[in-house]
Amino acid sequence: MTAPLEYYLLLSAALFSIGLFGVLTRENALIFLMSVELMLNAANVNFVAFSIYHGNLTGQVFALFVMALAAAEVAVGIGIILVLYRNFGDVDVTVPTTMRW
Amino acid sequence: MTTKPELKLGRHLLPGVVALALFGFMAALVLTSTFGDPAGFGGVDSVTEAIGYSLFNIEAETVPADTEGFLAAFEIVDVVLVAALVAGVMLARREVEGEVVTALRSEVDERWGPEETDGGRRTDEQGDRR
Repeated sequence: MTAPLEYYLLLSAALFSIGLFGVLTRENALIFLMSVELMLNAANVNFVAFSIYHGNLTGQVFALFVMALAAAEVAVGIGIILVLYRNFGDVDVTVPTTMRW
Repeated sequence: MTTKPELKLGRHLLPGVVALALFGFMAALVLTSTFGDPAGFGGVDSVTEAIGYSLFNIEAETVPADTEGFLAAFEIVDVVLVAALVAGVMLARREVEGEVVTALRSEVDERWGPEETDGGRRTDEQGDRR
């Protein structure tokens, strides 16, 4: 007995939208990272839901790879935030505007 | 005095309307479309076991028939994780008085004083800690 696919998709859409909301409205680089994690995990929920929908394990295995890539992304992201804090004394993403061009 | 987190409202929340609109669009899309019954993992006893076999391209009857092997992706993710580790070490470099100091540095420069792992005990000039 499994829950209908619509519930998973709604949960995933909500998670993705919360992540996008965070990226669009926040200025703290750490909250940026957390929001990107939310968006990646929304993709994971979709992978697992469609995996059982199709009766195929590919989605579940690929969700593991997405988690590994998220770990790598966070490692590099926190490194960049550390450098940002060291050079600008802040983790506000709107401060280092000289990197825009 | 204790403080509690407060919701900061203002004009900076305006771009978030895009996210809300996207959620409305996706929710409408999901709720108006019809999905059949999920196929499910009928013949699979243990999904975890099947994931393990599929991860390393091992042929086993417990794996659903149309699941691909993921050994190549596994190795590629390995390379990516190593690259992230190297990038993290590279980003952790800093420059002190024109000299690059990396996180992998082992000897302690006397500029930062004696190492504190022994409780900050000083050694004399003839000591072998130099």
